[in-house]
Amino acid sequence: MADAVTWDEVQEGQEFTNQEETSSQRLVVWAAASGDFYQIHYDDNFAKGNRLPDIIVHGALKGMWVGKLLDELAGPDGWIKRWDVSYRSMDVAREDITVFARATKKYEDNGEALVDFEVGTRKADGSVTTPGTATVRLPRR
Amino acid sequence: MADEVMELTPEMKAAIGKSGDPTTYEVTTLGIRTFARAVGYKDPIYFDDEEAKKQGHPALAAPPGYFGMPVYNPFRQNTARRPEFDSPFKRNLNGGTAVEPLARVYAGDILEAVTTLANLEILPSRAYGQMLVRTSETVYTRKSDGAVVAKTRGTGLSY
Repeated sequence: MADAVTWDEVQEGQEFTNQEETSSQRLVVWAAASGDFYQIHYDDNFAKGNRLPDIIVHGALKGMWVGKLLDELAGPDGWIKRWDVSYRSMDVAREDITVFARATKKYEDNGEALVDFEVGTRKADGSVTTPGTATVRLPRR
Repeated sequence: MADEVMELTPEMKAAIGKSGDPTTYEVTTLGIRTFARAVGYKDPIYFDDEEAKKQGHPALAAPPGYFGMPVYNPFRQNTARRPEFDSPFKRNLNGGTAVEPLARVYAGDILEAVTTLANLEILPSRAYGQMLVRTSETVYTRKSDGAVVAKTRGTGLSY
C-alpha cells in the first residue's frame, strides 16, 4: 500500500508503485465484484478455445489497481480528477504485476494543487502492458 | 471474425452517437466491500461504516471507479444498455478505461447510467486480422439529488 503524499513533497519524475498478485482465485473475486463473468478470465479451456494462451487478467481490474494506487497517494484530503488506461497487451494470470504512477508535472490550476502522472501496469520483464495517464489533486503541506 | 475484409455497415454507422436505455445501478455495502476486497484496498472507509463516519462520510464510501452493480432482473430484459447492431466480430476484449470521478459515491446511492456510443472503427490487428473498436461514454447520475457523480469512457475490442 502506498502512503498518502502532499503536493509539496512530490517530485517530478518520482515513481510510486504497488505489487499485485494475479491468482485465479483473485480473478474470480474480481469477477464477482465487477459482474464480468467472461470465462477467458477463469476457465483455462475456454480461454485456450478463444485463441488465448491461458486465462488472462481482467483489463478493468488492472485499471482499478491504478485507481487504488492513485487513491492511496491522494489520501483523505486529495482527489483523483481523472485517470485512463489502455489495455495494450494481455497479462497472463499467476504472474505478479507492478502498478506504477510516475509524476510527470506539478502545477496549480484554479487554486488546485495538481500532479499529472504517467500510470500503468508492468510485467516482471519491465514491459508496460497497461499504459495511461492521470491527474490528481493533492493537499498542500 | 469474418474472413472477408469488413467495413462499417450502415447499421453500425447509424448507431454512432446513439444512447442506450438508462440503467439503474445499486450501490450496496456488500458491493462496496466485495469491490474493495477484490481490488485490494486497505483503507477502512471502504469496509467499516463506523470508521467511514468517523472520517466525515455519511455512509460506507465507494472506492473511485465503483458505481455499484446494474440491477439484475431476468424478468425485465427489454432494455438495451448500449446501442446494438449486428457484427461478425463475436469475441470481445476490454481495450481501455477512463474515469472522471466528480463526486463521492456512498452505500445506499442509486445511480442511473446512460451510455452513448461515441465511435466505431474497424482497424487492422496483427493477431486477428481486423478488430472492431467501440468507444462508449457513460454518465452516472445519482437519483436522489441529480448529481453527476462520474463520467467514464470505455474502449471495447471485438475480433
